[in-house]
Amino acid sequence: MPELPELNPVIHGKLRLALLSLLSAVDEAEFTWLRTKTGSTDGNLGAQLLKLEEAGYVAVEKKFVQRKPQTLYRMTDSGRLALTEYVQALKQLLGAAIGA
Amino acid sequence: MTSNIESQELKDRLSLIEQMIAEGRRTTESWGWTFVLWGVAYYVAIAWATLGKASLAWPVTMVAAGVLTGVLASRTASKRPETTVGRAMMAIWLGLGVSIFVLMVSLGMSGRLDEHVSVAIIGAMLGGANCTSSIILKWKMQFACAVAWWSAGVAACFTSDTVTSITFLTAIFFCQIVFGIYGMIAESSKQKRSEAGQGAFHA
Repeated sequence: MPELPELNPVIHGKLRLALLSLLSAVDEAEFTWLRTKTGSTDGNLGAQLLKLEEAGYVAVEKKFVQRKPQTLYRMTDSGRLALTEYVQALKQLLGAAIGA
Repeated sequence: MTSNIESQELKDRLSLIEQMIAEGRRTTESWGWTFVLWGVAYYVAIAWATLGKASLAWPVTMVAAGVLTGVLASRTASKRPETTVGRAMMAIWLGLGVSIFVLMVSLGMSGRLDEHVSVAIIGAMLGGANCTSSIILKWKMQFACAVAWWSAGVAACFTSDTVTSITFLTAIFFCQIVFGIYGMIAESSKQKRSEAGQGAFHA
């Protein structure tokens, strides 16, 4: 029996998965837009984005626009690769679960 | 860890990914239609000015086109992530619109509105805006539009009324209508390619 793949624990969290999926479809996105799309709280969103940033899956740019702080997030190449691998692992596991 | 995961949860994860990617994809910026809309607006204003009240034609048509652009753009604004590039684009075109409007209305009211001067100013301004936008977006086709607008502006300074009019109408056709339709087709193709590229997530 072939060995089943492990799911990347950094991506596996639902909010982190949602964030990476969102970022995979846009060039960059503001914190507020990600909050609206995920319906998350500021604190939780910030914490999950920090984990993704620490893993090197998202890059952050902070600046001031018209004296207001603005935080922009973009997916890194390693983040895109990790998400692709995660999806492949999910499908493999799902195939195994259906076949079982 | 993976052995404990139910297949329903796995399906939920895949569904979440699809849903979020679809959300993000809806944000794809599409501005080709604005070029077409403004190209048509220029033609309407020119036709109205030629056949009817010249003093009302430009201000009324430009305000109407501005309001229509604002309404249509705001309908999709909430679906788009605010980005630096998006704001830069908005700043360029908003600045251009206000500049042309203020200047043309002032020239019209003062009675100093001359066809050659108008086309030269509009050509120079649209050339500048298209050039800036093309550099930010790295879009060579738009830079070609900038060159065409600058050429129309320069030509207006040296040519006859008829040639100036023809040059202006031609520039509108190619740089607004044709470029706008080309932009819409390019945006549509980009979206289709993106969907095909994301196919790995859905297959």
